Amino acid sequence: MTRLFDHYLPQSDRFFDEVIAREGAPRSHYDIMMQRFNQFSAADIRARRELVNIFFRNQGITFTVYGVDEGIERIFPFDLIPRIIPGSEWEGIERGLVQRITALNLFLSDIYLNQKILRDKVIPAELVLGSKHFRREFVGVRPPLGIYIHVTGSDLIRDAAGRYLVLEDNLRTPSGVSYMLQNRIAMKRAFPVLFDRYTVRPVENYPQQLLRTLQEISPTPKLDPKVVVLTPGIYNSAYFEHSFLARQMGVQLTEGRDLVVNNNKVYTRTTRGLKIVDVIYRRVDDEFIDPLVFRPDSVLGVAGLINAYRKGNVTLANAIGTGVADDKVIYSFVPQIIKYYLGEDPILDNVETWLAGNPKHLKYILENLDKLVVKAANESGGYGMLVGPESTPEQRERFAEKIVENPRNYIAQPTISLSRHPSFFNETELAPCHIDLRPYVLYGKSVSIVPGGLTRVALKRGSLVVNSSQGGGSKDTWVIDN
Amino acid sequence: MLSRVAESLFWMSRYFERAENTARFLDVNFNLLLDLDSITPVDHPNYWKPLIMVMSDPEHFNSLYQEYDAHSVTDYLVFNRKNSNSILSSISMARENARSIIESISSEMWEQLNNLYHFLQSVSPQQVHSDPYSFYKEIKNASHLFQGITDNTFSHNEGWAFVQIGKYLERADNAARLIDVKYHMLTTSPARHSDLVSGSVDIIQWMAVLKSCSALEAFRKVYLSKIDPENILSFLILDRSFPRSIAFSICAAQEALWRISGSSPHRYANNVDRLIGKMEAEMSYATVEEILQQGVRPFLEEIEQGLARIGEQLHLLYFAYHTPKIEPADISEALPFTGLDGRRANWSQSQQQQ
Repeated sequence: MTRLFDHYLPQSDRFFDEVIAREGAPRSHYDIMMQRFNQFSAADIRARRELVNIFFRNQGITFTVYGVDEGIERIFPFDLIPRIIPGSEWEGIERGLVQRITALNLFLSDIYLNQKILRDKVIPAELVLGSKHFRREFVGVRPPLGIYIHVTGSDLIRDAAGRYLVLEDNLRTPSGVSYMLQNRIAMKRAFPVLFDRYTVRPVENYPQQLLRTLQEISPTPKLDPKVVVLTPGIYNSAYFEHSFLARQMGVQLTEGRDLVVNNNKVYTRTTRGLKIVDVIYRRVDDEFIDPLVFRPDSVLGVAGLINAYRKGNVTLANAIGTGVADDKVIYSFVPQIIKYYLGEDPILDNVETWLAGNPKHLKYILENLDKLVVKAANESGGYGMLVGPESTPEQRERFAEKIVENPRNYIAQPTISLSRHPSFFNETELAPCHIDLRPYVLYGKSVSIVPGGLTRVALKRGSLVVNSSQGGGSKDTWVIDN
Repeated sequence: MLSRVAESLFWMSRYFERAENTARFLDVNFNLLLDLDSITPVDHPNYWKPLIMVMSDPEHFNSLYQEYDAHSVTDYLVFNRKNSNSILSSISMARENARSIIESISSEMWEQLNNLYHFLQSVSPQQVHSDPYSFYKEIKNASHLFQGITDNTFSHNEGWAFVQIGKYLERADNAARLIDVKYHMLTTSPARHSDLVSGSVDIIQWMAVLKSCSALEAFRKVYLSKIDPENILSFLILDRSFPRSIAFSICAAQEALWRISGSSPHRYANNVDRLIGKMEAEMSYATVEEILQQGVRPFLEEIEQGLARIGEQLHLLYFAYHTPKIEPADISEALPFTGLDGRRANWSQSQQQQ
């Protein structure tokens, strides 16, 4: 019988393989996993695959793909091989994330209250004040505890040497945490024995931590502050997650039409009249959240919400205007931001980034388009980008025009050598697939990080794009005691 | 409870009950035809048209199909998404409602509803035609399972009460429609004097009416074997303990409404409770003789309209988000009973327009 890992050949100098070291030997924390999978026959694998598929289908764990066909629900592809991170390695990541989030929060607080960092010319003021996500409506408003980013999901990758780098920060409404939780349940069901052989740190208490964080930021201290989740509705691609989190926290999932502002206070409309709301975990973007302040055509928001917020009668998580700090241009300044506010060197490095807005960088970018990945500063979901090495000369030419037209809006990074991890590329065979990692950070009275996060995997062979909207999948991620 | 959640619970439950009732009618019809096979061909439109009249809109049906036969009617009532009352449409809408409040219902409820939806997606019309019994049984069982799961996994608080209200209002409405049409067919149809003259056929037809409500066995326990129209009407309309009779459904809906508002007999707290109380009292004191005297059809039409008014007042009181405030006097006409999007043809009305 051929064993599953017999034909797994990761050898390549360009990419770090998570499981097999350069010399061809498995990394020690993967030993047990490999042994276990090697015991499985093809039929065993198929049976477990089926078990997992049924679990996801029955739970209705789907996301909606925009633009393909109206309202297509898809199961988020799940790969059976777990990603394993030794505890010692994780501690470094954790410290790095805490440092980064702390600094970014001080940055947001500063630019909305004092703008000292701009006066000290650490970052060009026009980059911050001119950012699409800078909200002047929010200048001078201090949110409870001075916290802006309560929920963060930063994307980490590993370079060819295995170093963890931050690819981008998601400081607005990061998603995916529900898949992390569901992946764990699916994995425990399908591989109870394997799971038992490792001491995997639990992730299941995330919803309770999230609720605690949200209660901590209540505008007025209360025994039981009323928290709601605000969703754009069932046609949103992350609707499953919104409802899942509300259910896990035991709070109401609301749509804009369920909320009403009266006298600068926010209420839910209930069968017994209006009930006050203290904290809104909103999964609606700034632009849509209040038609009186932002887009007047939005039907997803609540008229008057921003005023209630400015009056300090309700807290929004995340705060309005946090997007300015995950602007991909501002991203390139995060090392300076950390240095400026904390006086420390960054623990987690950025990916090398060129700004098209900088004339010297622009020249370099235009000359090396075939080697670089160019991204629009404010797009997400893998949209609006050019992957140089995979592009045609015509595509590069068109992109170059767009860059020259609006240099402020573009950044470029080297084609990133995302590390690879064995994954099923068909039913019973493994291939090295590129992965990243999105850990979830909660920031209330203290910072807490759930061990692991969501590992996304590019299941299309050779693809570097791990985004779910671009055909990516995910893996269960285990942080183990070692 | 959020008004939107209450509304979705109500409609989820209603649509599910509607799908079950449709399955029940179709199932009984197939069985009836097997019994009558020796007399009339199975595809005789007389057997199929009434189903469309009970459950949908003949005009809409005629715009899509050439004639009333087993295939066309089954296709229309089971699979056709253009028919908002088909089993597939009803279950899809029940599921859409459930999906929008997925955090408020138990995961077991969602799983059950979702399973049925996926089952329906996987069934072909050929399968239904070759084995209708299994197919309809699957739907009925799924509905019973859903109700059992709801009773046992969903807290019996306000939300549960809205689920009960949706179920029983839909059931009462369906029973009234079914009796209305069958009674009409049996007492006035020319078929009665041509191909359905024999007394045994008559009895088989009435038994079918009882079976549609799963009431045959329960009926026999009360009336032994005396199957005549009067007893059947009395049982299906007025019986206090049979869970698919109109009186029982109205009583159950009333209890659920009281749970929400805290009303009690003679002390109504709002307009919905007043209307259902009135209806329940009328049912309590009616006799089958009076119903026959008044005329079965006017009596049933009154029930259907009463249910429509209750649905509309329920909407204003609990779902309309308390804005805008509309006084009862401002409402000139009842909204369609099935609400703003669950629109369903009113058979009586379409009859009058013909």
